[in-house]
Amino acid sequence: MRRFEYIEPVTLDEAVALLGEHSGKASLLAGGTDLLVEIKEHLREPDYVINIKKIEGLHTLTYNDKDGLIIGSLTTVREVEKSTDVNEKYAGLAQAASALGSIQVRNRATVAGNICRASPSADTLPPLIADGAAVKLFGRDGERVLLLEEFFTGPGKTQMAADEILVEIAVPPPSPHTGKAYIKHGRRKAMELATVGVAVTLTLDSGDICSDVRIVLGAVAPTPIRALKAEAVLRGKVVDERVIEEAAVRARAESRPISDVRSSASYRREMVYVQSRRALGLAFNRARGII
Amino acid sequence: MTNKRTIIGQSPQKVDGIEKVTGTAMYGADYHFPGTLYGRIKRSPHAHARVLKIDTAKALALDGVKEVLTYQDVPLKKHAGLPVPRIGSLAVDQNMLTGTARFVGDGIAAVAAVSEEIAEEALDLIEVEYELLPVVLDIDQAVKVDAFQIHETERNMVMPPIIASHGDVAAGFAEADYIIEEAYSTGRPVHAYMEPNVCVCKYDLNAKLTIWSSTQGAFSLRRTLSEELGIPLHKVQVIVEHMGGGFGSKQDIYQHEFVCALLAMKTGRPVKVEYSRKETFLATKTRHPVTVRLKQGMKNDGTLTAREGLYISNTGGYASHGPGITAVGTFDMTSLYRCNENWNLEGRSIYTNAPVAGAFRGYGAVQGFFALDVQMDEMAARLGIDPVAFRIKNAVGEGDLSPSGHRLHADSLAKCLQVGAEEVRWSEKWESPQSKSGRVRRGIGVGTEMHSSGAYPDITEVSGAILKMNEDGTINLLTGVADLGTGALTAMAQIAAEELGTNLEDITVISGDTDVVPYDIGAYASRTTFIGGKAVQNAAAGLKQQLLSLAAKRLDSDESELDIAGGQVVRDGEAVLSIKELVKGEGGTPASSLISEVTHKSKVAYSFAAHFVEVEVDTETGQIEVKQITAVHEVGRIINRQGVEGQIEGGIQQGLGHAISEELILDPQTGRPLNPSFVDYKMPLAMDMPPIKTIILEEQPDPGGPFGAKGVGEDPIIAIGPAIANAVSNAIGVRIRHLPITPERVLEALEEKNQKSN
Amino acid sequence: MKKLITMSLNGETHEIAILPYRSLLDVLRQDLGLTGTKKGCDVGDCGACTVIMNGKAVNACLVLGVEANGAQIETIEGLAEITANGYKLHPLQESFLEYGAAQCGFCTPGMIMAAKSLLDENPHPTEAEVRFAIAGNICRCTGFSKIVEAIVHAGNGE
Repeated sequence: MRRFEYIEPVTLDEAVALLGEHSGKASLLAGGTDLLVEIKEHLREPDYVINIKKIEGLHTLTYNDKDGLIIGSLTTVREVEKSTDVNEKYAGLAQAASALGSIQVRNRATVAGNICRASPSADTLPPLIADGAAVKLFGRDGERVLLLEEFFTGPGKTQMAADEILVEIAVPPPSPHTGKAYIKHGRRKAMELATVGVAVTLTLDSGDICSDVRIVLGAVAPTPIRALKAEAVLRGKVVDERVIEEAAVRARAESRPISDVRSSASYRREMVYVQSRRALGLAFNRARGII
Repeated sequence: MTNKRTIIGQSPQKVDGIEKVTGTAMYGADYHFPGTLYGRIKRSPHAHARVLKIDTAKALALDGVKEVLTYQDVPLKKHAGLPVPRIGSLAVDQNMLTGTARFVGDGIAAVAAVSEEIAEEALDLIEVEYELLPVVLDIDQAVKVDAFQIHETERNMVMPPIIASHGDVAAGFAEADYIIEEAYSTGRPVHAYMEPNVCVCKYDLNAKLTIWSSTQGAFSLRRTLSEELGIPLHKVQVIVEHMGGGFGSKQDIYQHEFVCALLAMKTGRPVKVEYSRKETFLATKTRHPVTVRLKQGMKNDGTLTAREGLYISNTGGYASHGPGITAVGTFDMTSLYRCNENWNLEGRSIYTNAPVAGAFRGYGAVQGFFALDVQMDEMAARLGIDPVAFRIKNAVGEGDLSPSGHRLHADSLAKCLQVGAEEVRWSEKWESPQSKSGRVRRGIGVGTEMHSSGAYPDITEVSGAILKMNEDGTINLLTGVADLGTGALTAMAQIAAEELGTNLEDITVISGDTDVVPYDIGAYASRTTFIGGKAVQNAAAGLKQQLLSLAAKRLDSDESELDIAGGQVVRDGEAVLSIKELVKGEGGTPASSLISEVTHKSKVAYSFAAHFVEVEVDTETGQIEVKQITAVHEVGRIINRQGVEGQIEGGIQQGLGHAISEELILDPQTGRPLNPSFVDYKMPLAMDMPPIKTIILEEQPDPGGPFGAKGVGEDPIIAIGPAIANAVSNAIGVRIRHLPITPERVLEALEEKNQKSN
Repeated sequence: MKKLITMSLNGETHEIAILPYRSLLDVLRQDLGLTGTKKGCDVGDCGACTVIMNGKAVNACLVLGVEANGAQIETIEGLAEITANGYKLHPLQESFLEYGAAQCGFCTPGMIMAAKSLLDENPHPTEAEVRFAIAGNICRCTGFSKIVEAIVHAGNGE
C-alpha cells in the first residue's frame, strides 16, 4: 500500500499531540479494518499512521446497574458480541455486533472505530443510539461527552475534532420491562452491509403501555436517524399490532434513502416499513418477557 | 479378464491433497525468484476513449522503476486472445496494450518496479490525455445504424449471424394448437475464482521464456506467446503447478501475460504481474448477458411442433468467446426437448463498451437452456399438465438429435427427471400457485440440461498421455490435462491404475509443464475426464499389453492366460509374479523400454441433469430462501465419486448465485462497474447455501470415455438456474423470465400481479 | 524506514526488519517466504489470508506487519507436526482430505485456520456453528458442502 510513517504513542496526550502536529495527514489505527482498506483503495492517504493500541486503559468492557455498559475504545466488536452482559441487557447491540463483517473482521474491528467511521449503514450505531449511548472524547483541552445521537453530522462525518480521540462509549443501564431488537436487512446472511438497519428499544409500563421507545434507522439517511414521529405514535399507548403498524408506516415516511448499487430508494423505504414493524414486534415480545 | 472395478467409482485421497491442506502447494503468486520485479498495468478509467497523449517520463524517473511500456512499445499485431478457434469466426481484435480503450479497465501501459508499492506509485505518475468516445452499453443502442462502430464491423456485430435450421417451421406452427412467444434474459455474473490472475516470467540467456501462469490452457498460452512474440515453441515453457480456479475465464490469454513476458525480456529480470481482486472484476471476463426471444408451437396433447428463436449475446469491448457461446447456445436450443425436428434459430453477438464477456462454465447453454426450460414450464401451465410429466414426455432420448447433430442412444434425461421427481416426492409437493397464500410462500421447481463432454465437432479434441515404467514397478503418468481443482489428476491416476491393474499408490502423476507432458488443448468444455481420461486409459492399455507380452515370455505362458491385478501378474486367478519382479532386470532394462504413449482424438458424448429446488419467498421483502436442492446427474460412469459430487455442489453454488444475487452492475452512463469487490458482488457464502442432495446415475456410459465416463463440470451450473426461476414462479404465481431474481424484481412481479387482478 | 519486529511464528521466534506499510500477509509471504497464506482480495472480504493472531482468527491483509510485534502468529504451515519419522497432520487436515473438502485449494489454508480457531474454542460444533464460523471465508469451487462436513467431523473426532 501507499507509503506512510508509523508511530506507536503510549499515552493519550502523546497521541493527541501527534494528531495536532500532523493535522490532516495523520490517521488513527485501532482495529484497522476500515483504515487499511481505505488506504489500499486510495480513499485515505495518510502520511502518518498512529497506532493507539499501546495506550493503557482503553481496552475495557464493564457493566454495572448504575453506570450501565462502558465500552473502551479498543474493545473489539467480537468481545462485545460475546459478552454475557451485552447479550442479556443490550440485545440489539449484540445482534448488530454478530452481524458485522465476519469473525475475522470482528476480532480486530472496534466499536469505537465503527462509530468514528460514521458510515450511514454501520451496524452498531442504531442500537447504541436506541439505547441512549454517549461517547467520551479526549483532546488537547481535556475530555468532553456527547450523545451519540448528536454525534454524526453526515456520511463519514462526526463532531470529533481532528485532534480528538474517542476513548469510551457509555450506554445507560436498561430499565425494567425493556425489549431491544436490531434487524439488519441485506442480501445475504453474512459479509454484508445493511441496505436498511432498524434498532428498537421499547419499555413497557403496567399492562402493555409503552412508556418509552426509540426507533433508530440506519442506511436510509446521511446519518443514522431516530424516527421521532413513529416513536410518538407508540409513546403512552397500549402496544398492539395496529399501533405497531401505524408506527412502521410513519417510520417509512421519515426515512430519506438514496438509490445506490446496493438497493433502490423505493425498496429501502418499503423495507423500513417491513423491518420497523418486525423489529417493534420483536422488541415488544422481549419487553414482555415472552422471548 | 477381470471385470471388477476396484479403484474407479471410489473416492481415494486426492493425489495433490496433502499440498493443499498444508499450504505447500505452489500457485503462480507463490513463486519468488531473486531480483523479481513487480509489474502493474495502467488501465483506462473510461469505457471508450482514444489515447491522445501519454507521458511516462515521471514514472521512469521514480527510483525503483526499471521499465515502462505503453501501447506504442508492444507489437501492434492484434490477436484473438483465445486458445482455440470455435465455430463461427475467430475475431482477431485484441491488443497486448491498447491505444483505444473499449471498456473500463482496458490496459494501455505497464510498469515493472522493484516492489509492488513502487509499481503502484509509478502507475499514478504516468500521465494520459484521453479523447472520450461515445459509450454504448446496451445491445439495442449498439445495433443502431448510426451507432459508433467499436471495431470495424457492421452494426457492431462480431460475426455474421449463426443459423440453425431444420425441418419446416412454418408447417410446425401451422399445426400447433397453441403458440407461445416470450423474451428471456440472463444477467452479467462473473467467475470470481479465489486466485486472482497472475503470471511470472523469466527470460534467460538462452533466449528461453519460462512462464508460471494461472491458466487453464498451458499449451494454448505457449502457442500464443510463441506466435505473437516471435519465439520458437521449444524456447517457450509454461508451468502450472497449481491454480486457484478458473471456470473458463483463465482459458483466455490476458494482457498481463503478454506484458509480463515483454517486461521480462526487456529487463532481463524475473517479472511477476499479479491482478488485484478489483482487476479480476474489471479486466478479466464476465458471462455474456443474453436475450432470447423464443417462440414454440404445441398441440393440445402436449407435443411440441416447432421452435423459432433469436439468441443475442452482449460480448463487451472485445469478441473473446462471443462467437463461440452464441453458436453453442443457439445449437443447444435445437435439442433438450423434441420439437418434431422443426427449428429455426439464429444467434448474434454484439460489441458494446461493457466489460468483456468470455468463456464461463456452461458456455452459452446457461442462457439458452434457461429460456427453453422456463418456457417448458409456461407451456405445461398453459395446458394444465404437471411440469415434470410434460418434460418427460418431450425430453430428447433414444434416436433424437443432440445439438452436435448426433443421435442419442438412451433416455437419460427422462430418467433423471423420474428419479428426481420420486426423490423429492414431486407429485405430493407440487401445487399450483393459485392455491398459495400467506406472507411466506413455498414453491417447487425443476430445471434440466444436457451438456457435451468436449467441444467436438467445433474444435479438434486432442489429449495426450504417456506412461513410463520405473525399474521398481512404479509408474510415472505424464498427462497433458490441467487440474483447476476438479480432481482431474486423481481421476487420471485412478483410470490408469484400474486399466493397468496396478495399485493407485504406485502411480505418480506429472502435469502442468509444457516441456515435459504431451499436448492437450486445455481444461474446458467438460472434456478432461472424457478425452484426457480416455487418452490415459488407452496409454494404460498399451502399457499393460507390453507387460503381458513380457510376462508371457518370462512365465512361458500364453498372453491370453494372464492378467494384471493389484500390481501382480495373475494366472488362473492366482498372483504369480509382481510387476516389480517382472520389470526389475538389470541396468534399468527392461523397465526403461516400457513406455506407452497415446494421442487421443475424440468424438462427443452428452451428460444430462435435472435439478429440483424448493424455495420460500417472503412476499413482503421479496427475499428468496432456497430450502433444498436435489440434483440428479447422468454421467455414464463415476471415476471419482467425491470429484463428481464436488463439481455438482460447486456448480450449484455458482448457478444459485447467478439466479438470485450475482450481477456485475454497470453505471448506465459511464459503463464503469459499480461493485467490483466481494462485498458488493453477492455470492452465496457458507450461511447462504441450502442442503444439496446429489444423485448420480450411470445409465448411459459412452464407449468414447474412460470406462464409459462422461463429463460433469458444466452441467450443474446450467440446470439450477431455470429450476430456481420455476420454483419462484410456482411460489408467487408470477412467471419469472429474467435473471438475477432480485428481491426488488420479486416485489415488482407481485405488484404487477396484484394490479392485474384488481 | 524499516522497523525491527519480533514475533512468535508457529512456535518459533523470528526477528525481522520490515516496512511499516506492509501488511502481515505480505510480510509472511514476501519477507518470510511463507506462501501458504493466500491473498484472495487483500481487503478483508474473502478470508483466504486467515491466520490466528494471539489466539484469534484474523485477516492478515488487515493487520500491519508491525502490529504483529510481540504477537503469537499461527499459520497453515504450523499445523502439521513435523517429526523425525515424518509428519502428523492436524485432525482438520486429515478431515479435509478424507471428505474431499479441497478442490482448487486456494481457500483451503484460510478455511482450515478459521476452522481451527473455531475448534480451539468450541471443540464439537454443530453444522450451523460451523457455517457461522466460516461465514467470512469464500470458496468458489465446493459450494461449502464438503468443507462443512469435514469440519463437523473433525469436531466429532470422526
